[in-house]
Amino acid sequence: MDKIIDVEKLSVTFPTEQGRVQAVRDVSFHVNEGEILGIVGESGSGKSVSMYSLMGLLPGTAEISCERMEFEGKDINVCHFPDGKEYAAVMEGIRGNRMAMIFQDPMTFLNPTMKIGRQICEPILNHTGLSKEEARNKALELMAMVGIPSPETRIDQYPFEFSGGMRQRIIIAIALANQPRLIIADEPTTALDVTIQAQVLELIKYVKDTMNSSVILITHDLGVVASLCDRINIMYGGKIVETGTDREIFYEPNHPYTKGLLSCICNPEEDDRELTPIPGSPPDLLMPPAGCPFVDRCGEAMKICKLRMPEAETLSPTHRSMCWLNEWKKRQEK
Amino acid sequence: MTEQQIPVDRIPDELFQKLDDSEKNNEFLAMESKTYVQDAWNHFKKNKLALISLLFLAVMVVLAIIVPMVSPYTYDGQDLSLRNAMPGLDHLLGTDKFGRDILVRLMYGARISLSVGFAAAVINLCIGVVYGGICGYFGGKLDMVLMRIADIIYSIPSMLYVIMVMLIFGSNIFSVLLAISVSGWIGMARQVRTQVMSLKEREYAQAARVMGASHKRILFQHLIVNSMGPIIVNTTLMVPEAIFTEAFLAFVGVGISIPQSSWGTMANEARSLIQTYPIQMLWPVLAISLTMLSLNFIGDGLNEALDPRKH
Amino acid sequence: MDQQKVLVALEDVSTYFTVSGGMLRGKRTVKAVDGVSLEIREGETLGLVGESGCGKSTLGRTIVRLNEPTAGRILFEGKDVTELKGEALAQFRRETQMIFQDPYASLDPRMTIGEIIREPMVIHGLYGTEKQREEKVVELLQTVGLKPDHIRRYPHEFSGGQRQRISIARTLALQPKFIICDEPISALDVSIQAQIINILKRIQRETGIAYLFIAHDLSMVKHISHRIAVMYLGHIVEVGESDTIYRTPMHPYTKALLSAIPIPDPIRGKNRHRIPLGGEIPSPIDPPAGCPFCTRCPDAEERCFTQRPQLSQRGDRAVACFALEE
Repeated sequence: MDKIIDVEKLSVTFPTEQGRVQAVRDVSFHVNEGEILGIVGESGSGKSVSMYSLMGLLPGTAEISCERMEFEGKDINVCHFPDGKEYAAVMEGIRGNRMAMIFQDPMTFLNPTMKIGRQICEPILNHTGLSKEEARNKALELMAMVGIPSPETRIDQYPFEFSGGMRQRIIIAIALANQPRLIIADEPTTALDVTIQAQVLELIKYVKDTMNSSVILITHDLGVVASLCDRINIMYGGKIVETGTDREIFYEPNHPYTKGLLSCICNPEEDDRELTPIPGSPPDLLMPPAGCPFVDRCGEAMKICKLRMPEAETLSPTHRSMCWLNEWKKRQEK
Repeated sequence: MTEQQIPVDRIPDELFQKLDDSEKNNEFLAMESKTYVQDAWNHFKKNKLALISLLFLAVMVVLAIIVPMVSPYTYDGQDLSLRNAMPGLDHLLGTDKFGRDILVRLMYGARISLSVGFAAAVINLCIGVVYGGICGYFGGKLDMVLMRIADIIYSIPSMLYVIMVMLIFGSNIFSVLLAISVSGWIGMARQVRTQVMSLKEREYAQAARVMGASHKRILFQHLIVNSMGPIIVNTTLMVPEAIFTEAFLAFVGVGISIPQSSWGTMANEARSLIQTYPIQMLWPVLAISLTMLSLNFIGDGLNEALDPRKH
Repeated sequence: MDQQKVLVALEDVSTYFTVSGGMLRGKRTVKAVDGVSLEIREGETLGLVGESGCGKSTLGRTIVRLNEPTAGRILFEGKDVTELKGEALAQFRRETQMIFQDPYASLDPRMTIGEIIREPMVIHGLYGTEKQREEKVVELLQTVGLKPDHIRRYPHEFSGGQRQRISIARTLALQPKFIICDEPISALDVSIQAQIINILKRIQRETGIAYLFIAHDLSMVKHISHRIAVMYLGHIVEVGESDTIYRTPMHPYTKALLSAIPIPDPIRGKNRHRIPLGGEIPSPIDPPAGCPFCTRCPDAEERCFTQRPQLSQRGDRAVACFALEE
């Protein structure tokens, strides 16, 4: 399988009045062709920031450092473009074309004063040589595909005339306009009701299968991840603390944070079991601890955890975890 | 730190001991605790223009208090032998057509102008906050009736109030204050009303209701306190407005009575000499414009410092 | 359960709002809550579940009189809440409390944590001296797992979960008998949700408090509720013991709601059969004439579109559906 996205050692820092917020710290990941990668983490874990940096959508104040960032083998590492204009031109050709994004809140993305037909046509007109007529037909096709009933009448309506679920479908239609190779979905169902969430998730899966694209799904909901994703990255405190296939993460979790997450969510099919919450609150990225970011909430923390960030331990070709317990186990065995 | 560099297999075993729960700090608060006022001041300080303005105003207030006290001259003491003197060592800003010291008169005028300005702002603040708060909080019919009354008061030209007040109470500083305040509070009331209307839907206001807090408590402890930012800014901007109105009234001759001085009466007196001694006009005009300008800058600075959206 | 006394009883409660429907259409009525009857017993948790716009929050707000009911009676310990005045109303305000959804909006940003938790005591004149109040505040902070030195901090310095715990501490200051929790965990991170649930459960064990726990999906509700009521478009469609509802849901909407929860298990999650539920909730401005669920129900019959099924007892639960009546 080819890698469609390959990122190595990405760090993002935001200078603020209080100090420097180290949102993403030294993160490496990749996405294979045709797979759905889930990125799980709580708010402030850096999951959205790392994806926004792929799209070149971070504010200008963000300080990015990165060793490698490739999309379809093409260099899109902002650090390799001393000229901002050149980078902007490269990204313009990719964004909304080869790479598309689905946002959490459709209302902030849709222009409230523009008919949705025009909003769907825009990326088509920008990136292809189609005429207005052809683009409109394409838009109708897309609307039908994402399940908007009677597209011929709805294409001339404004965003406020649609419900939340329908707006999210429009966002998906816009994202799909040019058959992107990679779709980044940032919490696409968080704002939706459960029954609508189920519809939208099915739609994302259907779209991915028919277009054979790859998907990065950012979410905090482990249920969503389990039913959709092939591989999962668990992020905490700006780091990817564990990465693995869906089964490795759910059946053989290695990192205490992953284990903690799994034991504090509810499985509707299981019988009553007490929830075991993770104590405390997430760390502050203004002053990230020198060691493991999870140390203060971890039930198994050791002295070393406070002092030094563990290296990634390879557990299988697809499964890696950053935890000192692995080193400790090795020493016990000796 | 050596732990950061040594190879993993050489990390001593004792570092792999479990941490005690007491060594963890998982209810961690990062920021230094700062009160609202400290935070606002820190932001205000960054606005150099506003800071200079504040300094200017402070100097003006101090001079207004001290100069008439220490100066050998009084505001009405005439020296007919020394009329229309240019600025010099004896009279720093010169004298007027009756030989009165302009500096003393200017600072005496500052006392009147500034106190009229601040007093009017405080009066408008009190009436406006209570009136607007009640309208916004209770809403409905009460709000409609009260706001229509305010509209009617606002729609009558303020000159009419001035003339009426002057007729009844005569020309003195209190009539000026009264005339400014008859309709001056309405802008404040409108602003407080909109603020309170949007804030009363906030969950903390609703939580207070569920707790059983009285209307008075919810309105003044929660809603007004949280609208304080815009209220303070509005009050600051009301001061120059009042100063200007007072100066204007004095200039057209319906303000305080001579020989007392205010910046407006001084400008009025200097008017006849504008061809021959224009410098006499310069002082009061400069005082009025610089004071108004600095109050506006302070208002701007406060607006930025107190607006939670800006930080 | 049955021997426990009824604490709150809703009898046919309706809450309507009037909205202007645009320039030519005049005023229209939104039937947010439409003829709801429910009982909440002492010391129990009733989960109230429904999607956005189903009227669940309005129902909660109606019980604490943030909205006035259009019709029906709300009885708290046998007394009609809407008729309370003076001392009786003050007592009702002490005994029922509410926790709100948005932990960022429910704490006054200009007050310190100490002042926030002290406020209900000040309003009701509890715990006499300042010193006693201070001690009580510290005790409450510890109950919800926060530190005494947080007392002089401001809300914006806390994370969402910490703020929600401050909210809980504030409601506990009055030692209420009944707390309405209006989606207290839906704005929080997963690792924090369980904390809040466990704190609420512990408090219930210790003090025998009753909760109405409002939520928009069925996933976390199970862990806290003794009984669950499912609401759709202003109506209760199914009520019963929480195990019963989870194991054998009867109303087609409850079934769909349950099957829509994503299962945190990769094998079963990916192969699960979901009950496809087309469409969206109709507007409460003009709800369907018959069963509220008829427009989306996979098994809707002809009469579902014309007649409204009533909530009626079916063994161990109450359901409102014609298909179950035979």
